[in-house]
Amino acid sequence: MTSGERTTYANANVADVDDLMALAGRAARSVAEGGELHEADEPEPDELPRHSTVAVDPRSVAVERKVGLLRRANKIARGLDPRIHQVTATYGESVQEVLIANSDGLFRTDTRVRLNLAVHTVAKQGDVLESGFEAIRGTAGFEMLTDEAVEHAATDAARRAVLNVGAEPAPAGTYTVVLSSEAGGTLIHESVGHGLEADLNLKGLSVYAGRIGQKVASELITVIDDGTDPNKRGTAAMDDEGTATNRTVLIEKGVLRTYLSDRKHAEKLGIERSGNARRESFRYLPICRMTNTMIARGTSDPEEILKSVKDGVFVKKMGGGQVDVVSGNFAFEITECYRIRDGKLAEPLRGATLVGQGPKLMSEIDMVGNDLGYSTGTCGKDGQGAPVADAQPTIRIPSVVVGGKLK
Amino acid sequence: MSERLTNDATVDAALDALRASATTGEIFLREAQSGSVEIKEGAVEAVIARGERGIGVRVLDDQRLGFAYTSDLSLNGIRECADTARRMSALTERDEDLALATKAIDDADLDIYQSGIVDRALSERAAIALSVEEAARETDPRVKQFRKTTYSDSESTTIIATTTGVRASFRESYCGVMTSAVATENGDRQIGYHGEAARRFAELEPARVGRRAAQRAVEKLGAKPLATQKVPVVLDPWMAMDLLRAIGPLFSADNVLKGRSLFADKIGQRVANEKVTIVDDARRPRGLRSAPFDGEGVATVTRTLIENGVLRGYLTSLKTARKLGTESTGNARRGGYGSPARIGPSNLFVAAGSDDATATVGDFDRALAVTSLLNLHTIDPVSGEFSLGATGNYLERGNRIHPAQGITIAGNLTHLLNSVVAVGNDLVFGPSGLGSPTLVISELSIGGA
Repeated sequence: MTSGERTTYANANVADVDDLMALAGRAARSVAEGGELHEADEPEPDELPRHSTVAVDPRSVAVERKVGLLRRANKIARGLDPRIHQVTATYGESVQEVLIANSDGLFRTDTRVRLNLAVHTVAKQGDVLESGFEAIRGTAGFEMLTDEAVEHAATDAARRAVLNVGAEPAPAGTYTVVLSSEAGGTLIHESVGHGLEADLNLKGLSVYAGRIGQKVASELITVIDDGTDPNKRGTAAMDDEGTATNRTVLIEKGVLRTYLSDRKHAEKLGIERSGNARRESFRYLPICRMTNTMIARGTSDPEEILKSVKDGVFVKKMGGGQVDVVSGNFAFEITECYRIRDGKLAEPLRGATLVGQGPKLMSEIDMVGNDLGYSTGTCGKDGQGAPVADAQPTIRIPSVVVGGKLK
Repeated sequence: MSERLTNDATVDAALDALRASATTGEIFLREAQSGSVEIKEGAVEAVIARGERGIGVRVLDDQRLGFAYTSDLSLNGIRECADTARRMSALTERDEDLALATKAIDDADLDIYQSGIVDRALSERAAIALSVEEAARETDPRVKQFRKTTYSDSESTTIIATTTGVRASFRESYCGVMTSAVATENGDRQIGYHGEAARRFAELEPARVGRRAAQRAVEKLGAKPLATQKVPVVLDPWMAMDLLRAIGPLFSADNVLKGRSLFADKIGQRVANEKVTIVDDARRPRGLRSAPFDGEGVATVTRTLIENGVLRGYLTSLKTARKLGTESTGNARRGGYGSPARIGPSNLFVAAGSDDATATVGDFDRALAVTSLLNLHTIDPVSGEFSLGATGNYLERGNRIHPAQGITIAGNLTHLLNSVVAVGNDLVFGPSGLGSPTLVISELSIGGA
């Protein structure tokens, strides 16, 4: 319930009338007194287009077949190298039936079928342990988990652990960095995406606050959030307030165009609702956040980008990240990277991290590839998890701090 | 809807359902009320009230384990849940070491419950959050905004019962307040986070929370990069707790048995500097993670895990203890009725030392006192490697020269434990039950300009 600036919200996972009444009583105590009650409009159900196809409903697939995929992943990962000494493969499916009705008469439903097959490996060499991870995740049916996809994930997870266990620790310092399109999109998610969430901008707290229409990145950079991208992990027909999802251009050739909004903040900021009000479940309030976020393709040949660097670091896979939206400083984990020497990949490095300041880094990117690669993750904001995907082309950053160890 | 069964009657009905199908098993019931109040610019922005009540049933049949849970606590719902758990058990692998609790749980008053904490008036709960912001503003005029200030509380009842005769329950309460203060000066804007929690309402100190958050924000204003180098590092109790959290999984017997812990095969060996003693104390009075028994119905204990640098033991569950040939330490913890138990620490803390951290740092030509860490969730407990974004105060002979930002600190958790050169006497416990005094680390790699 919203009244003025205040939102009051009660939810329960209880099945008894007594428990519900007790909860309603607790919530009612928070509602401002003196308000007038009036009857809500009659709801008008409408259908939104669905952006994901589910050919095979995972609920119709026998559990033995799911276990079979995990056994296969386990066998492939263990068979890759004798240094692999632990493999954990997990399968998860989630089917969310969402119905949203509000006092404006909105009445919409959505079904979100999400799958997750993850492979986690541990490689051991002497006293050194390293882990490797790869996952297949999407808003899609069971047909997504093909034999080839599972084999690819298991092989990558095992290969990464073995590579890192034999790698030298990354040497800390400032480098020219090439981020491969295969590396995924943690960079765009952390360095820019969170800073464009409308709630932080309304409070004037983000480094991007009050900057619509201004140049906030290199003109090579276009940033898009697309909740309609078919079968991706962050895709849905509507957001968790019932607003249809959108393909929203946030930054166009370096110029800030809009923010990621929910109903309340879109209204307050005078921008269009972007369909980015998301919540972990009915137990939480919706908040402004990303769906599938990407840096759009550029025009450079990825091979040429690598060749252009004499001495630097090539990031092939990124892990998790975090940003301090107020100062714009971010950090993200690198799970697979190599030294670049004379335009070619040289020795692998382990334990690296990349730190920088969002707007500064975005204005310094000087090459953007014509390729595009996706990664998936679970974004955590205000204690709520949300499934997301991120994507980017191969890009070059002339100078950035790479964390690691010194001998 | 059918008539509401009491918690005890619910557990009885579930036990009856297990016995009727001639299986052994365990019932875990949790009833909880919780709420939060979020404020913005002096007014209440959001109020949330939550309620939940449900059971989780574990069936142990022919040494196979099945798990199911439900919030439908009608007689039918309970029976269906027990039946699902029994069917699930047929799908899992046999394990000779699976077991249910059999020992009676001792009576222990841990002083972790204050009744009525969630029934306090909104005005009283909001006032806590408002006074946090007020204290932060009073601390320094450069603190003008807040990212978020939230007061939250909860009250819950937990019951465990097994067909092998164990039955016990406890109630607990919790309240906490946290804020992220934003300080602004000459176009530079910095955030400072701090949160505290307690078992009793009166024990919260909102003014202290506001002051510390303000200090955290203000001390970063004017931050500059730092050159890439190796320097001694000071971790105040809150920063040390952040890293201690990452060390917790190394003690898990599950990780040890699966070869995923750097502490595997290290019992009796030196794994930390001799100044370091680490204790897991589930019986700490008013401790935020204190509980008389764990998620499998095993009585908890107070244990020294690292004693003067030497590894003394692991955290175990019934199954992992059997595999190691020991007794369960009562560390099979459950997040709720809907999740099975996982091994984890209770109140894990570094014991207070007797060093004067300030004097130690004064002896170093250069040092970095860490003030915040980014990306803690990416620390890999398997390899122990960490490489984190950081802010800090750059010190020379103990004097603050300037704040630093845009840097990384990196190392390995085992190396970190071995590199502790001073342990302060200022032990503090944080909102998640972790505790630590100030720690001084002889050297870590800093990545920067």
